[in-house]
Amino acid sequence: MAAANQLTALLNNMYATGLLDEQFQQLQMLQDSSSPDFVSEVVTLFCQDGERIIGELAKLLEKPSVDFDRVDAFVHQLKGSSASVGAQKVKNTCIQFREFCQSRSKDGCLKTLDSVRTEFYDLRGKFQTMLQLERQLQGFYPK
Amino acid sequence: MTGAAAAAAERRAIRVLLVEDEEIHRVLARALLRAAGGVVLDEAENGAEAVRRVREGGAGAGAYDLILTDRQMPVMDGHEATRQIRALGVTTPIVGLSSDSLAADVDAFIKAGADDFTPKPLSKEKLNRILAKFNLA
Repeated sequence: MAAANQLTALLNNMYATGLLDEQFQQLQMLQDSSSPDFVSEVVTLFCQDGERIIGELAKLLEKPSVDFDRVDAFVHQLKGSSASVGAQKVKNTCIQFREFCQSRSKDGCLKTLDSVRTEFYDLRGKFQTMLQLERQLQGFYPK
Repeated sequence: MTGAAAAAAERRAIRVLLVEDEEIHRVLARALLRAAGGVVLDEAENGAEAVRRVREGGAGAGAYDLILTDRQMPVMDGHEATRQIRALGVTTPIVGLSSDSLAADVDAFIKAGADDFTPKPLSKEKLNRILAKFNLA
């Protein structure tokens, strides 16, 4: 089936390019008949959290005097949710981001925010495609 | 019945208190604990609620077999919650969870009275290690 092949190719690509790590496989293993939407639920939460946090970070970093402790707290939160869903690239960028928070570098934080934003939206797009392909396979969309 | 399900059926249900403010981590922990089988799960969204649940559950008798607690939470963090739970005389195993896993982070949890620490994200392997360590498997 075309959708199945596309889904396999997409996931393989996401692992190969470092977007995802083995934690995502943990999520897939936890999805079963008693929890058929588990992956979708976790991915959706990650996408909602990520969008909200990136928005908060942008606001905090616009201020003339940056509260680096608050920035760090939000980045810590994004790092945690990235790790939980297996979003390896986003997680690793958050690690760098925290270093800039700790060294109180506004330029470093702004640059890294751009990277996090790009990586997050790239991943979110691929997750959306993945979920659409899964729905096709489950027959949720009429042919 | 699978091996894990059979083993879970043999042991009595264990009561776990999960202390975690973020929904994504609660969803993952719920799924892992459900997959482990034989778990009755209570949840608290911050340390203060956790202390209240432990106190109301009969602190002396030990309402829970295991407490898993995040570090950074609003109202009361995991370190303070651990200290207050221990001050009630509760000896239930407490395991700290955090995305930060530097030695200083681990030490802070242990000094507060936790028995162990595991870095997030929680996984099947990490949970099995915890359950085995405290004879809850």
